[in-house]
Amino acid sequence: MGSPLVVVTVVLLVVALATTVVASVASYRRLRVRLESEVSSGPEQAHEPEGLREAEAARARLAGALEAVSQGVVVRDEAGREVFRNQAALAYVRGRHGEALVEQAIQEQFAALAEGGALRRTLDLYGPPRRVLLLSAVTLGDGPHPAGALVLVDDVSERRRLEAVRRDFVTNITHELKTPVGALGLLADTISIEDDAEVVRRLAARMTEEALRVGRIIDDLLDLSRIEAEEAPRHEPVPVHEVVSEAVERVRPLAQRRGIQVDTSDVVRSHAVRGDRRQLMSAVANLLENACKYSEEGSPVELRSRVEGEMVEVEVRDQGIGIPGRDLERVFERFYRVDRARSRETGGTGLGLAIVRHVATNHKGEVRVTSREGEGSVFTLRLPSAFPSGGPVPSGRVVVPVEVESR
Amino acid sequence: MAGRVEIRKSFHQSLDEVSHDIVRLAGMVSESLGKATEALLDGDLRVAEEIIAGEVTLDALTLDIEERCYQLLTLQQPMATDLRAVVTAARLAAEIQRSGGLVVNIMKAARRLYGVELDPRLRGLIERLGEQVHRLFRLSIDAYVERDDSLAAAIDDMDDTVDDLHVDFIQTIFEAHGEGVTALKVAVQLALVGRFYERIGDHAVNVGERVQYLVTGWLPEHDAAARQRVRETDGGAGGATSDAGGDGAGSSPSSRSEPA
Repeated sequence: MGSPLVVVTVVLLVVALATTVVASVASYRRLRVRLESEVSSGPEQAHEPEGLREAEAARARLAGALEAVSQGVVVRDEAGREVFRNQAALAYVRGRHGEALVEQAIQEQFAALAEGGALRRTLDLYGPPRRVLLLSAVTLGDGPHPAGALVLVDDVSERRRLEAVRRDFVTNITHELKTPVGALGLLADTISIEDDAEVVRRLAARMTEEALRVGRIIDDLLDLSRIEAEEAPRHEPVPVHEVVSEAVERVRPLAQRRGIQVDTSDVVRSHAVRGDRRQLMSAVANLLENACKYSEEGSPVELRSRVEGEMVEVEVRDQGIGIPGRDLERVFERFYRVDRARSRETGGTGLGLAIVRHVATNHKGEVRVTSREGEGSVFTLRLPSAFPSGGPVPSGRVVVPVEVESR
Repeated sequence: MAGRVEIRKSFHQSLDEVSHDIVRLAGMVSESLGKATEALLDGDLRVAEEIIAGEVTLDALTLDIEERCYQLLTLQQPMATDLRAVVTAARLAAEIQRSGGLVVNIMKAARRLYGVELDPRLRGLIERLGEQVHRLFRLSIDAYVERDDSLAAAIDDMDDTVDDLHVDFIQTIFEAHGEGVTALKVAVQLALVGRFYERIGDHAVNVGERVQYLVTGWLPEHDAAARQRVRETDGGAGGATSDAGGDGAGSSPSSRSEPA
């Protein structure tokens, strides 16, 4: 016995057994771990509906957030089906007139995005109301498999308007200031090499003219900045008819030169506003000056006043050339010109109406304009009355409420 | 039974899409009409070209709408209100398309008037005409969308303002030409522009009449037809007794004609 072959066989057998045991233990352990994890995951599975609820809550939060934004939001899934649309965008679905075109543009944006086309598009709507909409298309999710797409509709009308105001202001002020200064330089150059006394006299006269022009602009600019700085003007009662007659006095030379009849018979003597006499006179005079300037020679200009609730309205009405519709809301901007070529003839500074508007806002009032080309303009200055309801009964005209019998 | 319900539903869906597209077509025209007046007064050739180029889209959509209307008529054979809705849709598409065509004509005139400085009185009247016609056009579409027959009927009266403005405009052109302010060529172009606006107003009135027909079944032609019948019986039988009833129906338009 004791054959070496048997020993080798036994050893091999043990090794084999051990290996099996180890393997089985390992597999048991794995099994245990798995079982344990499955057992412990039991309660988790019970929590699954709660997870769903959380997902639902998260979805509702996101949808609510998208509802709250003022822009229109439309979302599509990867198959191109519409899955979400917020309230702002919902308005476009059944839109009519220009609105009907917004929905079309939204659909076109999705189509363009799918083809890798333009991502932004501006839609100019005439309305009314006039609006500029910016449509942007975005692919949702990243990588080669997008999760969907989104189109955002943003109303940029106000932004565009302010941009235009700023841009034009720089252009206009450059023009207004540089033109006379440039002219002065050129005239001075010419005079310095000119021998003919007569020509020199003529050129000098032109220089005086241009210098006066610059002077007027500077005066108006100073006036404007003073009015701007004085945010709370004095609040004394100022009779409207006094302001009006001072203003009429100021434009009398111009009115006489152009043969214009200024009619103030409808300015009620008892009407008074609360404010700064100097500023108010400046505002009315500016309106009156424009009325005289932009009327044909010999045509009438009317001033009237009336009480509207707690406000007094001073109206300046002319039968002049009028203001084109597109310029109507812009004439109160500084240096804004309806017609630049004409502005040199009329000799204004381009600041008059800006001053009027500032005076009005300083007094917690406003200035309005209605106009029609070829028919004339009406500027209305609304200012707080010095005698709001409950104050002294206005002398002169007494208004008795009359009940109109309806048939 | 369920099958029939399905068919009806799909009919109404298609009809809905058609009327939605009519509103879209009108939206295009309304936008171009508003912009056209401005472009004409400002000499904005870019907008003019844009509107002229847009006519193709208008025509394509009109054709599409009309074809869908004919399909609905032949395949679904609608009755009563449904039939009126389809017939009205086809007619409205044509009216709106014509209005769009007239806006294009105005823009072509704007091209010819480019660089001409117009008398402020003429400019003011063009602005007024443009606004009034634009308002009329929009109201006629409002009447269609809301199926509002009284608004639709009011458009005819409102068109009188347009006609008055048109007369004023022509008068002012004569005056400006007489004073030597406006050249003959310009005067002719302006007269055409006035005419185009006035025609758009007429189309708005037509839209209003079609909307009345849609809602009540009334057509202005019915009045004319009734008069014609009276005249014929007058001439033939020497008495209009049988037509008194027909005339009496005039007071209740809705009962007058319900297309079978």
